[in-house]
Amino acid sequence: MDATTAMYVAQGIHGLAYGMVLFLVASGLTLIFGMMGILNVAHTAFFMLSAYFCYQVVAWTGSFWLALLMAPIATAIVGVLVERFLLRRIHALGLLFELTLTIGVMFVIMEAVKVFWGTENLPLPVPLLLEGLVQIGGMEYPVYRLFIIGLSLAVLGFLAFILYKTRMGMVVRAAVSDADMVNALGINVPRLFMFVFGVGTWLAGLAGVAIAPILTVFPGLADQMGMDAFIVVIVGGFGSLGGALMVAIISGLLSSYGVQFVSQLAPVLMFIFMAVVLAIKPTGFFGEREG
Amino acid sequence: MNRRVKGIVWGVILVILALYPWLFGIYFTNVIVTCAIFALFAVSYNLLLGYTGLFSFGHAMFFGAGGYATALALTHIEGCPLLVALLFGFLGAVALALLLSPIVARLAHSAFAMLHLAFSMLMYTLALKLRGITGGEDGIGGFPIPPFRIPGVVSVDMTDPLNFYYFAMAVLGGSLWVAWFLTKTPFGQIIVSVRDNAKRVDYMGFKVPQTKAIIYTLSCGFAGIAGSIYAMFQDLISAASFGIAQSFAPIVMTMVGGVISFFGPIWGAVIFAVIEELTTRYTERVQLVEGLILIIVILFFPGGFIHLAAIVKGKWLGFIRGQWFGSIKGKWFGKQ
Repeated sequence: MDATTAMYVAQGIHGLAYGMVLFLVASGLTLIFGMMGILNVAHTAFFMLSAYFCYQVVAWTGSFWLALLMAPIATAIVGVLVERFLLRRIHALGLLFELTLTIGVMFVIMEAVKVFWGTENLPLPVPLLLEGLVQIGGMEYPVYRLFIIGLSLAVLGFLAFILYKTRMGMVVRAAVSDADMVNALGINVPRLFMFVFGVGTWLAGLAGVAIAPILTVFPGLADQMGMDAFIVVIVGGFGSLGGALMVAIISGLLSSYGVQFVSQLAPVLMFIFMAVVLAIKPTGFFGEREG
Repeated sequence: MNRRVKGIVWGVILVILALYPWLFGIYFTNVIVTCAIFALFAVSYNLLLGYTGLFSFGHAMFFGAGGYATALALTHIEGCPLLVALLFGFLGAVALALLLSPIVARLAHSAFAMLHLAFSMLMYTLALKLRGITGGEDGIGGFPIPPFRIPGVVSVDMTDPLNFYYFAMAVLGGSLWVAWFLTKTPFGQIIVSVRDNAKRVDYMGFKVPQTKAIIYTLSCGFAGIAGSIYAMFQDLISAASFGIAQSFAPIVMTMVGGVISFFGPIWGAVIFAVIEELTTRYTERVQLVEGLILIIVILFFPGGFIHLAAIVKGKWLGFIRGQWFGSIKGKWFGKQ
């Protein structure tokens, strides 16, 4: 394989890894939106919070694997508390109030991490097992990025299994299409909402831990990922997991190849893509209803 | 309140504002100009959110467009008069709004909000990248502020903060009055009905997308005026005025002040100016305080400061709390 092809493949792997992390964040966002109709502005703040939790767990125990387990769970607990004690109380008032409440939650989380961890970049080493490069078919790949792709695929498979093969998944899908009706059938929809919000923030948390060793942990982490994640959800169609996956991968590849070919335009490629899609189909690729 | 009491209240407010620079000194005069700029910005936003039910994440783009248009006019046009520069700011924002309105007028709710986020990020990136025109990260600064001149009558030096205070307050106050008047016209009634039930408005023969486009353009024009005054006031406009924080500011001010009323966002701007003044003395984390206040307000007084004031007043007048929740419930993106 010659050098040019190798470069294309390497860029492709980079893009794919970023796209998969993006999908982890966006899947939580789209799940929450599809279910509760809330655009969770604080979602990427949870993503960043988890990266900080990860840093803290590694600082205490030195184990990345423990952090991978604990940090998303801790984030999900914060998410569940926010849903139970803040969002649920004003659910009846309408979406605007829920949405602006999540803006408030975002402000608080973004500033709270600065109070606890300061504003500087906190480096996080890649775990020993995943360091270095691996040779496949005469080419070298960074192991950690392959691990991210594998982890995201595993989560995607698990999520698809839960949603489409279990009774609980059936209930969730039913609630996505008509929450009132499901409530009338005797299912505790508020508890379901809390659960889905928890899972959504857990997914964001997982993405936060996965990205932390690559980008280091810093307060701007949420901004970097946030915009892309929102765009993925909108373009893919609100509440659509498949759409989110497709657009996340397109987005990842666009950003990695975009830097290579049209570096001046790279930052705006995604926005142009989004504007074009929405101008033609306001519901996004797979969206059935307008958000 | 009857007419006479209202007249007296407004008279007192006008007198206080006229004497303000002498009462509180130049530092607090600058604080109140900033506050008034954001009050107009938030009111222009509330024309969309509170009146028409359009939620946008990117209103800063029009603020920035107004600021950049004014800054560019003052930098490049030799001897550009003050009011023409202001007009450039207004027209810059209106032009951007007209460009976007065919796309966004058909959208509602989250798609509308997010498309604005995307476009404002696009503008932000352009402002950073097109260094030749926008000056990149540094923005445009140090342009001359021309005097306010009516040929043969008067010429007032605008680099004097005191004169600029009166000029800015007159422009901002005038814009606020026009916006208020707009909401009292039949057109103002139509936009409220679009918020409450767009389908019925359509059946009655009004054109919903066109109505949205008109109020959208006007609202953006007001934001442009706010941005234009801001650019002249700071003698600087930078890419940060397209940023996401700048877009969140009017949302938060509107919600804390009260989305239910025309005057809510003005109260919001005042409240945030006070919070900023008080908290920056003790901590750098102003946003933490703002976030907490936003959460508390939405949990307990979803109608904002206006709502709180009515509850306090209701203690005397026997106002029922439930009425307020009834009047807010479901009006902004609730279940139809």
